[in-house]
Amino acid sequence: MEILVNLDVMMARRKISSNELAERVGITPANLSILKTGKAKAIRFSTLMALCRELRCQPGDILEYKEN
Amino acid sequence: MNWNRNKSVALSRVCLIVFAAMLLCLDAGAYWFSRWFFSAEGSRWVFLMITVYSASIFAWICLYMLWRLTGNIRKGEVFVRENVTYLRAVSWCCAAVGVICLASVLYYLSFAFVAIAAGFMSLIVRIVKNVFDEAIGMKSELDLTV
Repeated sequence: MEILVNLDVMMARRKISSNELAERVGITPANLSILKTGKAKAIRFSTLMALCRELRCQPGDILEYKEN
Repeated sequence: MNWNRNKSVALSRVCLIVFAAMLLCLDAGAYWFSRWFFSAEGSRWVFLMITVYSASIFAWICLYMLWRLTGNIRKGEVFVRENVTYLRAVSWCCAAVGVICLASVLYYLSFAFVAIAAGFMSLIVRIVKNVFDEAIGMKSELDLTV
């Protein structure tokens, strides 16, 4: 069981670069990279909200629950 | 006096140097001290020398670990795995000194108090080590919270 982060898919759909998204959301590119690579252990609601706002999507478009 | 965190760590390091100097004096003068303490009667002074030197090995290790630990704290690296290793080593050193003192009770009863003190110190350091271990886990989780 794991939570997959499909941030790169949404970023590709919206044609937005990592640096631009990080700047718009208000997090560092390093933290965005942690999120994209699935190394993050938790995500704040405020960060998720900002990501959804900038990518014009729902949390479910970014996060996916996968059962082994 | 403007007291701050850096000065507190510096004071700890000065205290470590003082203790190291005291330990060095004890090591250098163990022969005369032991003979004076037991008035050179029988072979008890030889046992005291053995106790002093065997406990001294662990005391040196303990001081070195504490030196490294305070060095890391000075650099701002507090909750790192390395420090847990140092604290674990300090705890085991205290326990080892406790065992040595416990064995020394056979020829000098008052060593029982030192053994109890060393054992208790070992327990305290061990609990601090557990706290550090837990804090490192929490810190890594916080670091990976975006």
